[in-house]
Amino acid sequence: MNDIIVKTVARIIVPFIQMYGIFVILNGHISPGGGFAGGALIGVSLILYTLVFGVGAAEKKFSHRLGDLSESGGILIYLLIGSVGIVSGGYFLTNLEAGFLKGETGALLSGGMIPLLMVAIGIKVTSTIITLFHAMIEEDPS
Amino acid sequence: MSALFDNIINHINQIGACALIVIGLYIVVMHTNMIKRIIGINIFGTGVFYFFVSIGYVRGGQIPIVNGDESGVMINPLPSVLILTGIVVVVSITVYAMSLVIKIYEGYGTMDQAEITRMKSGENND
Amino acid sequence: MIELLPLINMMILLVTALLIVFIPIKRFGVIKIIGSLAFSLVLIFSVVTLLHVQANGAISYIFGGYERFIGVELYIDVFASLFTFFIGLLGLLTFIYSIGYVHKEVEKTQYSRYYVLIFILFFAAYGIIYTNDLFNTYVFMEILSLTACGIVSIKRKRKNYMASFRYLILNEIGSLSFLFGTALLYMITGYTNITLVNDALQDVWHLYPVNIVVASGFMIVGVGIKAAIFPFHVWLPDAHSSAPIPSHAILSAVVLKLNLIVLVKVLYNVFGANVMTSLNIPLFTGVIAGTGMIMGSVFAIAQHDIKRILAYSSVAQVGYIVLGISLMTHLGQAASYFHVFSHGMMKSALFFSAGCIIYVSGVRDVRKYNGMFKLMPLPVITFSLAALGMIGIPLTSGFLSKYYLGMAALDANQGIFVLVIIISSILNAIYYLPIVIRSFLQEPSSELNEISDSSIPYTMMIPVSIFAILILVLGIYPGILTDIIDGAIMSVVGGWQ
Repeated sequence: MNDIIVKTVARIIVPFIQMYGIFVILNGHISPGGGFAGGALIGVSLILYTLVFGVGAAEKKFSHRLGDLSESGGILIYLLIGSVGIVSGGYFLTNLEAGFLKGETGALLSGGMIPLLMVAIGIKVTSTIITLFHAMIEEDPS
Repeated sequence: MSALFDNIINHINQIGACALIVIGLYIVVMHTNMIKRIIGINIFGTGVFYFFVSIGYVRGGQIPIVNGDESGVMINPLPSVLILTGIVVVVSITVYAMSLVIKIYEGYGTMDQAEITRMKSGENND
Repeated sequence: MIELLPLINMMILLVTALLIVFIPIKRFGVIKIIGSLAFSLVLIFSVVTLLHVQANGAISYIFGGYERFIGVELYIDVFASLFTFFIGLLGLLTFIYSIGYVHKEVEKTQYSRYYVLIFILFFAAYGIIYTNDLFNTYVFMEILSLTACGIVSIKRKRKNYMASFRYLILNEIGSLSFLFGTALLYMITGYTNITLVNDALQDVWHLYPVNIVVASGFMIVGVGIKAAIFPFHVWLPDAHSSAPIPSHAILSAVVLKLNLIVLVKVLYNVFGANVMTSLNIPLFTGVIAGTGMIMGSVFAIAQHDIKRILAYSSVAQVGYIVLGISLMTHLGQAASYFHVFSHGMMKSALFFSAGCIIYVSGVRDVRKYNGMFKLMPLPVITFSLAALGMIGIPLTSGFLSKYYLGMAALDANQGIFVLVIIISSILNAIYYLPIVIRSFLQEPSSELNEISDSSIPYTMMIPVSIFAILILVLGIYPGILTDIIDGAIMSVVGGWQ
């Protein structure tokens, strides 16, 4: 789009949307939301950027290769965090007995491994939403 | 008569969810346009999820967030958490179905499934 | 340590799927090595788990160490480990077959995506068999149907896209119906864990008969759409006949069977045999199964394309398995599990042999199969062996499975099903025998004279031969399998008073 109002407003708003998304992800264990909702928000911010500035500019910000890597990387981080429980003698995805910090109820750094899992899910959902959008609007290369 | 109305008002959530399910199923069965069928699946899914979430409601319960004082009965949070996963599944299926519709439109030139069946039945007979 | 093996199986499959994404497209050899290694490891671990569970009893593994009603549970008994061994064996042989075949059907840039889809499909397959939680089953069933649609539409032709769209919409209705049934059960019992739901239902089922009948109806219809039971099979011919040949084998031998395993778990583990018979549900599934056995074969007689014939024949064979399940006796279950194994072997052998024939000559119309035996003897021999097994000739495992089914139907006082089995076998013979006779006895047509079977790669011939040998072995000496199946039935909860 070539409208100057749209471009200026989008340039101002995109960081705030991403900040809100990161806030929802990090507070997943205290308030409703968590990985899925926060990841969708960050993904939507990049979709807004693609709509306003075109596919080429968005490709520089978030390339295909980075999308593939972060999708697989998100699940691998999830599996690694789950395996900490196996290594320390318990079951898969054990929370407090595997040595994660407990903290106090209601603080930000509490709840054991749940914030770490939320970050992994957030990364994965972000890259998934961007990849799905690119799959629908691109011309087929092959 | 008022017992019937009481019953309806007390179970209004489940009745609404079943209405959405029937509407969604009707759309998938009776319309032949592919985009409308995808919308029908979404409505069907929304109805099923609404039914599931409404099971967890406790009349007179509080929000299930521990804030210091934990007195009183809390609403069951388990169905809402399960449905979060279900919503993500339905979203990905919707996106995949729409990409398929884009490719089908490029291939056949129409989005009407009855017409495509007529075209394909000429293609399969050899 | 042995308790971790099921979890390690699932993690190997998922991690392999994720690692294939990192490999650049040009190095196909790396994918071959990693894939074969992963499937072999999974098969070895499945065998070890089977031996351990037979000796020591079931394993119950709850994520996070929580209680049963909060956590997600994996429950591995003889039933689960027997079927994971079956799926692992099919996975390894199909992977070896697909290495030789994939360059003909899939473009070079899509190889890694194809194999990622196959590994995630098998991960979901193992998840369905192991899990003991109803909502977890729904999630894994959705993953299974999405990846199955993916491997149908990997070929870039417009009829693949159409078939995959129809498959997707119908399967989605099926999964959502299953979820609705789960919601109804959650409403009256308050749990989603299968053992806890079973315990709660045994106490309260006479208080909520309408709820249980509606819930079981939605679940049976939902699984029935996904497993291509007779009136809901309309997505099957297009989807299976336009898929690439290696994924055709996976679709017919793995995906349909997994949804039938979900049906078994729902009918026996969740509801229990006594609840089912008191509410008259086996009558409906028996009638549907009997109709499917006949109508599937009737539709197959009218087809000319080899892949469509095999697809419609799957509808009839699924009818056999549902018949065995719905008899609600010990013999009926044993017969249908044996038929799951033997149908998996026979159908895979049929597809792989047909794949070899299509690979060399490109001929898909059975009216042109004259004299194929002189041009390529080995695929035609395996095809004929598997076809004779499907009809039910003695010395093959197909005959034994029909014999067991007939015995089970007589034992449950439902003699009409023996008549249905005989009619269905005759109908099977009507469309399989002409292909066999035509390829052995007539002269080949002139444009096919210059092909021979020396150009088929050995990676394709080895799985075909293994399946053919297994059909003969199971037909002559079924004891090795029926002993394990007896143990598997004992461990399915919910009925044998």
